[in-house]
Amino acid sequence: MSSESSVANRVRHAADEVRAGWTPQRYGVLLFGILLAAGMGPRFQVFLLTEFMIVALFALGFNLLFGYTGLLSFGHGMFYAGGAYGLAIVLKEVGPAIEAYLGAGLSGGVSLLIGAIVGILLVTIIAVPVGWLSVRMEEIYFALITLAFGMLVYSTIIQNPLDLTNGTDGIVILLGNLNIAGLEIRFGARRTFYYLTLTIFGLLTFGMYRVINSPFGMVCQAIRESPERTGAIGVDVRRHRWAAFIISAVFVGVAGVLRAGLAGVASPELSHWSTSAIAVIATVIGGASFFAGPIIGAFVFLYLRWGISRVPTLEAYWEFFFGLLIIGTVLYFKAGATGGLLALRGRASALLKARAHTRGERE
Amino acid sequence: MSAIDPVPLVSLADIIVGLSLGSRLFLIAVGLSLIFGVLGVLNFAHGGLYMIGAYLTLVVVGIGSGYFWLGVVMAALGVGVIGVALEILTLRPLEDRLENDTDQLLVTFGAVLIIHEGVRTIFGSQSYTLSPPEYLDYSIVLQSGQIGVYRLVVIGFALAVMLGLWLFITRTYFGSLVRGTASDREMAAMLGVNVRRLYTGVFFMGSVLAGLGGALSAPLQSMSPALGDQIIIDAFIVVVIGGLGSISGAFVGAMFIGLAQSLGPQFISSGSIAIPFLAMVLVLLFRPRGLFGGVAE
Repeated sequence: MSSESSVANRVRHAADEVRAGWTPQRYGVLLFGILLAAGMGPRFQVFLLTEFMIVALFALGFNLLFGYTGLLSFGHGMFYAGGAYGLAIVLKEVGPAIEAYLGAGLSGGVSLLIGAIVGILLVTIIAVPVGWLSVRMEEIYFALITLAFGMLVYSTIIQNPLDLTNGTDGIVILLGNLNIAGLEIRFGARRTFYYLTLTIFGLLTFGMYRVINSPFGMVCQAIRESPERTGAIGVDVRRHRWAAFIISAVFVGVAGVLRAGLAGVASPELSHWSTSAIAVIATVIGGASFFAGPIIGAFVFLYLRWGISRVPTLEAYWEFFFGLLIIGTVLYFKAGATGGLLALRGRASALLKARAHTRGERE
Repeated sequence: MSAIDPVPLVSLADIIVGLSLGSRLFLIAVGLSLIFGVLGVLNFAHGGLYMIGAYLTLVVVGIGSGYFWLGVVMAALGVGVIGVALEILTLRPLEDRLENDTDQLLVTFGAVLIIHEGVRTIFGSQSYTLSPPEYLDYSIVLQSGQIGVYRLVVIGFALAVMLGLWLFITRTYFGSLVRGTASDREMAAMLGVNVRRLYTGVFFMGSVLAGLGGALSAPLQSMSPALGDQIIIDAFIVVVIGGLGSISGAFVGAMFIGLAQSLGPQFISSGSIAIPFLAMVLVLLFRPRGLFGGVAE
């Protein structure tokens, strides 16, 4: 009874926040609505938007550590790969057994679910010791040790341990079907996978928002500002960084599961440092100090890359522009694309106010 | 005596190959370590500078129809100039954010992308090879294998650079300024050292060494735009093992990794590519100042 009313209260509270002007909640609902409608768009855009949500999740997880806790990781690709390989190995090794046991109707959905769970478990198993060891380092030493761990995972995958990872070729993934009472859901279909990704993206974005605005998230930000002072008021800085590391890894792991499903393959490159760099690029360009920074950065990253590839003379030279963008952002505009949008909004509302003011005077 | 002659596990030829790989690594890692020791910047673009050195040699040798040593000199100086531009354009604006190492790592990472794409735009994705000068392009045949004479030349260069740098830093006036600024930048500035110019000078030196390394090892490897990304990871491993900021550490670390690369596969059939990363992790955890010191010079 009381829990029911508290749920109702929460919903009412959330609705109030959406109505109360341009709050983060309203932007969230707006973005979700746009993405919901965009799933009906052209097929290629649906593909690109799925990739956008996955990269956004990757960067969102990375930014809990970078923007909110102040640790720059160059090895988060290992968790991207962890999620991907978890799914791939389950589908390859256990998939047929599940199908034999459950029959063709349910097996596609069940093996996808088990694959996702195994992927997340695998990522946690990697992240707990790696995080415990890595958070002893700070600044560039943290960047170096995460880079080394990421490359260690990369070289391990290439060695094909226990004949599980299939070496440099990676594992091809075929997502199955779910067949209940004549209703067939094909997970590999673009729009189906899009809505699956959107659901998870929506839930996890909300989850990350709650993590960052929780007391835990506040302590993370305090550590970012000054580890010494936060330690002085009695916070165990190392344990907090460790917890942030693990949560961050799990978010990236989920992104990795989705990435493997979308690309249809789990390949060792996912753990290479150049893949880890994608999260760095997207987050820096988007603005690491904002919650929405990685999301907007991922959008800019994918659509700018796509836009550049449409111009024949510039085709395939996208890295060049991102290099310039990163240098420009770090040197002169730390707030990134999100900060730019906020400044534009401020300018626009000032303009509107001034116009309303002059109109008022005239009357 | 058995029917088959026992083949020694470690032959002289393999050791020479290992030392030449180590020399190549030393030439890139020493500049990286020097820059870190003085400026406190971990230059992610150092591998890119090395790659530019290799490609510049290719261009000069191509145009000048075979003046290899002219190519090496031009490449080293050209990379030095590019390095100075990089320092002035990207690192100098950050000089009031010295406490933030990650910003500096990020801007140099931006430079990695620009250099990588720039090289690909100009030279394409295919790989190039370059022969050493003709009079060095032969091998000494030993019982245990062949030794390319050019490899010996590269090892000689690495030893000369090591000795030259050591003399420069411990015996010259400018060297003492470098040491002083590395240990206390503010005090050096107060005593009248133009820290800004010294930083640019040290970055120039580090870049020239990267260019020299790229130029000298051009005949030892094929060149493609991925070269910079590959070598920078090896260089990171070397400077971590030797101790960030330590020049002698870079030498020992480079020779260690070079020998591990040439001899390792004979002892451990699989897993040898993981070993350098494992070593890097272990050193960072247990000896973060490096295996061989913790000396700032």
